[in-house]
Amino acid sequence: MTADALIALLPIMVVAGAAIVVMLAIAVRRNYRLTVILTLLGLVTALATLPLAAERAPLAATELMRIDRYALFFIGLVLATGVAVTLLCYDYFAKREEQKEEIYILLLTTLLGGAVLAASSHFASFFLGLETLSVSLFAMIAYPIKERLPLEAGIKYMTLSGAASAFLLFGMALIYAEVGVLSFAELGRLSATADFQPSVLIGIVMIIVGLGFKLSLVPFHLWTPDVYQGAPAPVTALLSTVSKSAIFALLLRYFVVSGSYSYESLSAVLTFIAVASILVGNLLALLQDNVKRILAYSSIAHLGYVVVALITGRVLGSAFAVEAVAFYLVAYVVSTLGAFGVVAVLSVGGDEAETLAAYQGLFWRNPGLASIFTASLLSLAGIPLTVGFVGKFYVFSSGVNADLWLLVWTVVIGSGVGLYYYLRIVLAMMKSADGVATAAVPAAPAPLVGCLTLTVLVALLLWLGVYPGAFMEMLQSLSKTLS
Amino acid sequence: MLDALWLVPTLPLAGFLLLSLTAGKLPERAVPWIGAGSVGTAALLAAIIGIAFWNQPPESQFFRQTLWIWMQVDGFQPPVALYLDALSLIMAFVVTGVGFLIHMYSAGYMAGDPGYSRFFAYMNLFVFAMLVLVLADNLVLLYLGWEGVGLCSYLLIGFWYEKPENGFAARKAFVVTRVGDTAMAIGLFLLFTQLGTLDIQSAMQRAAAQWSAGSPLATAAAFLLLGGAVGKSAQLPLQTWLPDAMAGPTPVSALIHAATMVTAGVYLIARTHVLFGLAPEAQWLVAVVGAITLLMSGLTALTQTDIKRVLAYSTISQIGYMFLALGVGAWSAAIFHLMTHAFFKALLFLAAGAVILSLHHEQNIFNMGGLWRRLPIAFWTFLIGAAALVALPLTSGYYSKHDILLAAYGAGPSGSWLWAAGVVGAFLTAVYTSRLILIVFFGPARAHHAVEEKLSLSMTVPLIVLAVLAVIGGLLEMPLQPVLPVSREHESGLLIGLITSLAPFAGIVVAILFYGTKRFSLEAMLRNSAGFSLYRFLLNGFCMDWLYDKVLVQPYLRLAASNKQDVVDKPYQAIVWISRSVHRLLTPTQSGKLRWYAASIAFGAAVVIAIGMFT
Repeated sequence: MTADALIALLPIMVVAGAAIVVMLAIAVRRNYRLTVILTLLGLVTALATLPLAAERAPLAATELMRIDRYALFFIGLVLATGVAVTLLCYDYFAKREEQKEEIYILLLTTLLGGAVLAASSHFASFFLGLETLSVSLFAMIAYPIKERLPLEAGIKYMTLSGAASAFLLFGMALIYAEVGVLSFAELGRLSATADFQPSVLIGIVMIIVGLGFKLSLVPFHLWTPDVYQGAPAPVTALLSTVSKSAIFALLLRYFVVSGSYSYESLSAVLTFIAVASILVGNLLALLQDNVKRILAYSSIAHLGYVVVALITGRVLGSAFAVEAVAFYLVAYVVSTLGAFGVVAVLSVGGDEAETLAAYQGLFWRNPGLASIFTASLLSLAGIPLTVGFVGKFYVFSSGVNADLWLLVWTVVIGSGVGLYYYLRIVLAMMKSADGVATAAVPAAPAPLVGCLTLTVLVALLLWLGVYPGAFMEMLQSLSKTLS
Repeated sequence: MLDALWLVPTLPLAGFLLLSLTAGKLPERAVPWIGAGSVGTAALLAAIIGIAFWNQPPESQFFRQTLWIWMQVDGFQPPVALYLDALSLIMAFVVTGVGFLIHMYSAGYMAGDPGYSRFFAYMNLFVFAMLVLVLADNLVLLYLGWEGVGLCSYLLIGFWYEKPENGFAARKAFVVTRVGDTAMAIGLFLLFTQLGTLDIQSAMQRAAAQWSAGSPLATAAAFLLLGGAVGKSAQLPLQTWLPDAMAGPTPVSALIHAATMVTAGVYLIARTHVLFGLAPEAQWLVAVVGAITLLMSGLTALTQTDIKRVLAYSTISQIGYMFLALGVGAWSAAIFHLMTHAFFKALLFLAAGAVILSLHHEQNIFNMGGLWRRLPIAFWTFLIGAAALVALPLTSGYYSKHDILLAAYGAGPSGSWLWAAGVVGAFLTAVYTSRLILIVFFGPARAHHAVEEKLSLSMTVPLIVLAVLAVIGGLLEMPLQPVLPVSREHESGLLIGLITSLAPFAGIVVAILFYGTKRFSLEAMLRNSAGFSLYRFLLNGFCMDWLYDKVLVQPYLRLAASNKQDVVDKPYQAIVWISRSVHRLLTPTQSGKLRWYAASIAFGAAVVIAIGMFT
């Protein structure tokens, strides 16, 4: 292990260190504000070490991790998301639990798992990162332990996650049994020359099953709405952004590096999953009355759109797929954080603001939050001038360029159906507030930290929607580094 | 000085923006200063620019000011540019000058109306749009102004929107002119695609170079533009909207539906006279449309009972004269009549407005009578305007109308017929105008309310200024030679000139015999069943509304009713139905049961592995 490798791993190590520091600080003295400040400090420090690491990239830091600009980009995305979620958690948990400081340890370990995933180039780090991420999430989901729904959601997620991990491990074992290596790059080198047994293909499909569960792709999606609904709103925001983007970054790296694009039948598998996710996700959301469940179904559909971009990499080359996937994930993360952030901010005072009725007339009661929510929803729907539009444009253009018309038409239909349920929420907010029990959403003053975070997010959402050029150039340059 | 041209349309636009953005929050005292002030300053500026233009005309006889390029797409780069020559200068004078006087009058007439600020905002927007129309350098800008004045006309006819019939009249005006506008838009597209330029001047030059006289393309383009012109200028067969447009406030009728907008068609044909010169059939049709329209509306005006409707039919008839002049190639005479008509018809409307206001919004002439002593200012100014309308010698209307009729007489084989129609029209004009004056201002007083003339200074001054212009406007004939070709000089003989001049006097005598001395009894004529039918026929404007209702509106409504279930909606409803059905099919999968979720993962894995293995 050289000094360069240590420096390259700094972002990951800083996050791990921050988790330990926060834990020790809590052990010495419980102070909510201090805990949050330490967490933020750790995350900002980790973000600040990214340029240092970038100077050393690309570099294989041990056999397990490969620090290249692709990895650093997704580590940055994970950590930035972590900052936003921390800020959203601050108000949300301030008045809730008796022992609320530990959520930040769990948050940091979740981010640690995500960061490891983004950089992992080996089945071992892959599994370790994934389990670090997932186990932390079990606890975070069930954090309000005295309430029924979070507990139920936590248990469901844990049990099913275990099942999915079993598929994942089985898949890895099948591949290892046939090929005899665990590193992605070795795997790619060997599969380019040798002809393997079909059990390798079954192994890859089983890995897709395991990851498909975590990404809540159809037909492994059934847990999504229950868990999203049961988890506290900021945790849902974390679950729907960090875990999705880090795992997808890993999946894409695995596909590109291990040479899985050469399996033609994998395209059929992914096409089935993408089409099913887009259609089922959007159609399930159609008449849903629970905002958190609507957003859960919508995330199923969105991950389906990203899979479309993944599939086209086979035809268009990995560089374009990386660019499209990375942009779409950023767009999805920003918009989703905005949407769940509004839910979190509105849930500060007590009960979760999750029924559609709770949002009725929000435009007249709190125009600022309603506008932020509207902007996020329109971005999720892919309306021009928002970042979501540019992301969807990437998906469309990659589908059209690759001549995958089945997928393109599915995306078109999905987007059309999607507009319906996003606008239903907007419509509910526009309706007059008369006759709505104002107790549905307590008129507590909107928390400052949360609102500032949301304002920054919406500014980002519009900026990337109006001037995506600079960001796209950055993605283009980093997309060539993954191979 | 000419460089300030862009300010002329900008000032009213600024007035509109100021008035509309403050949304009626301004104190009522400030509103007319902004509304009328912006147009007044524009008028002053136009006058200064006009003097500079005449003193030192540019060598090319026109002045072009390019403000910016609207957009640049593959060779299509319409500039936003203004074009000033003698023709557009006269139009700008009329629009700003008469416009300012009417704005000033409105300050008194509309005082106390809840929509005071809104009224001036619309009026300013109208003046802006009309200036864009007459100063436009290219077809795109011209069309913008053309549609802009149409919009303002709609907004102002329906200004008192609380009454449903006003909204109906506004819609009718909008829809009927839209028929013409569509024809015109197609015509403009035709010019652009065939001539490859949007610039009006170069389009005319290219038309003259590319097309021979009577070529099908030139004829088609001229017919299409004529369609737009008859719509906007309320000529046969699209004249039915103008009488109903009188639902708007009287200053609106004076400005839009007498002095300026309705003459846009005349301006359009004069502006594209080269094209009409290449299409003799179309030009001949212009003359025929004018002649028939002036006769029909003259006859209709004889029977009307609403003071503003009489004036509306009179406007249609006078624009008919302008079309007649255009059709026989008397371009300058047409524009001259346009100008004098703007003076005296605006005067007549404003004087009528004074009468209406004094009688608490009474418009039926048979509820008036004997007003000349009680409303002296309204009476004398109305009388002066009427004299110019009837074309009594020495008034402005005499010179312009005389020019038109003599030019018609000298225009080829059908010229004498056109002349005869014009002379009969002049006779009819004299009859209905005299009838109006005799019923409204003389005879027994029939008013239901107390009558008192309460005209503010802002209303009196425009009346007097316009009265002066209506008399001396004949001296203001401006040279249009470089822009419009000189009409042929012709000898018509003393007899023709004499008949032309004397026709109005005959009309006045007839009117006095019927309505003044009651030598002939109208009642006797109406007792006769044929006479009564004729009266009803004329009262309803040749029953054109009835005819259009039967031929166009009713079949359309029947067609719409037959598709009440809307076949087109069916596929969309099917989409909704399918989506909801699938949603209901899928919802039960979200049972919340952990064992079912786990089983579904296993099942899904089996399906996915099967797909992976067997493709």
